[in-house]
Amino acid sequence: MRRGMMICGCLFAGLLTAGAALAEPCLSPYVKRLAGPEKYLYVSAVDADAKDNDFLAVIDVNPASATYGRALTTVDLGSAGNEPHHMGFTDDRTKIWMGTLLSRRLFIIDVAADPATPKIVKTIDDITALTGLHGPHTYYALPGRMLLTFLSSADGNPPGGMAEFTNDGQLIRVFKNPAGAPYAYDAAVKPQINRLITSSFTPLRNYSKPLSQWDMKDGGNTLLVWDFKERKLLQTLVTDPVPLEVRWSLKPGKAYGWTNSALGDSLWFFSRGKNGRFSTRKAADLGKGCLPADLRQSPDDRYLYVSCFMKSEIQVWDVSKPDRPRLHDIVVPGVSPNMMHVSGDGKRMYITNSLLSTMDYAQNFWVRLTHIGPDGRLKMDPFFNVDFTKFPTGPARAHDMLLN
Amino acid sequence: MTPGRRLSVGVLAGVWLLAAAPRLAHPHGPGASRPAVPGRQALSSSPNLGVIRPAPDFTLVDFKGRSVRLSEFQGRVVLLAFIYTSCPGACPLLTQRMALLQARLREARLLPSRVGLLSVTVDPERDSAETLARYAKGFGADSEGWRFLRESQERLRPVLTAYDEWTKPIPGGEIDHPARLYLIDPRGRIREIYSLSLFDERQAYLDIQALLRESR
Repeated sequence: MRRGMMICGCLFAGLLTAGAALAEPCLSPYVKRLAGPEKYLYVSAVDADAKDNDFLAVIDVNPASATYGRALTTVDLGSAGNEPHHMGFTDDRTKIWMGTLLSRRLFIIDVAADPATPKIVKTIDDITALTGLHGPHTYYALPGRMLLTFLSSADGNPPGGMAEFTNDGQLIRVFKNPAGAPYAYDAAVKPQINRLITSSFTPLRNYSKPLSQWDMKDGGNTLLVWDFKERKLLQTLVTDPVPLEVRWSLKPGKAYGWTNSALGDSLWFFSRGKNGRFSTRKAADLGKGCLPADLRQSPDDRYLYVSCFMKSEIQVWDVSKPDRPRLHDIVVPGVSPNMMHVSGDGKRMYITNSLLSTMDYAQNFWVRLTHIGPDGRLKMDPFFNVDFTKFPTGPARAHDMLLN
Repeated sequence: MTPGRRLSVGVLAGVWLLAAAPRLAHPHGPGASRPAVPGRQALSSSPNLGVIRPAPDFTLVDFKGRSVRLSEFQGRVVLLAFIYTSCPGACPLLTQRMALLQARLREARLLPSRVGLLSVTVDPERDSAETLARYAKGFGADSEGWRFLRESQERLRPVLTAYDEWTKPIPGGEIDHPARLYLIDPRGRIREIYSLSLFDERQAYLDIQALLRESR
């Protein structure tokens, strides 16, 4: 009996240890967790004048390292003018998928063999010919597969859609957005409730032009609710214009979340009612001229982080009451903060400041770090500043990030 | 700890974990996905199961020494899991869920005539035939309907590679490996891949029924 209790005790201790693995918020729930603090930060980098090759930068983020806070290497993508944008891990965290918004190339990069020196293992030269869609945006891991959203059809016009691939890049199937809600952007699954929600931006015909020439009405204002197992559209929800990131509550089973309306300068709450139907409501006004470009979460589901690209600040919203966010803190990391990435322990957030070559107004590109205190307040690290203007090929626009 | 003791711990862990699953952050090591589900998941009786790719064929050996070739299961639905018996958390939880699935399939008289369950160890050095046999017995595995398979490392490696699986030893004797199960239709095609930590045997049963309806 006593021995049995000891065995159970050991087992329980082992499980507790295992539970300490770090779950980064905002990644697909199917992605393997990091076993410890991050050591490398991968950054998608667009050559600023589109004359030299684009690349993936590897930044040392191990504080114990002599090269902490510096670019260790770059992975040359072999061509220019691609506009590499977002990235995503495969479910087993061995590969990064990184696509492009202005070319048709997609890169599959191995980060398992040597996380410090990633290697391109496959380039899909014409993802559009393969899928009939253009501009892959979100790379969302499913078990053994990748779900990608696309901003446009092959001709650069709506509708966008989604496509699923095996982890090694074989196309499985394609879903186009419906005619009544043709714009696409992000996707996020809540497996416990079998729901997928997708959001809406603008297509190639618009975002490929300088921002001053954009048609601000050529964009979506919808969230689509799908039955995930059936891949069936259930509902079209309306928000302010251009709802971007889809962030489900991180609490298991909770059927609510948030999105940021880029052109409405607002935060929106979506939730499932007692009748099983979802609805949206405007949850917070972010201030005129914010242009919230990214939305991130703390691992405890307590705070949301909003980057105001035009107002050059990051806002922290307390969502203890999920449908009634309260402004908690503001920091100014530099000009035009855009993408953010929160570490698995929720104590650090890395920030970049390029959105899209057609939208950027800053010339000095960087990656910076803010520390997140136990009180949820942000404190910029004055010593962490990776200068993206001094690569051998000149300045590069730092956009999306992943940790390893 | 003796192999027998280790096994009984594993089986005990499966039962305990299944009961405790709603409260656990995640019952697996660094090789795991994000937190396990609390309680029951929403189900779909009309799943849209696209053809993912052909299921790579293989020949492995069960704990009775019989050769088992995947292609011999053509005409049946197969659920294929990669596990190891000394895995402290996710594998026994998963195997217990497969035991529940086995019970449903037996009740519906689908096992083994129309459905086969296969559990392949990724740790053949520690999972001897005897170890696998005890593990299978501990979970009440049907000797014909639910086969536990192994092979030498050398012969197993290409099978793992073909399924995009890999293993990496981690301190403490655990093995990091992609936590997936593969649902294979009667024509030998992978139609669904499940994450170990989010596997729900009730949905798997509905998926199996959907594939069987297709093949009528």
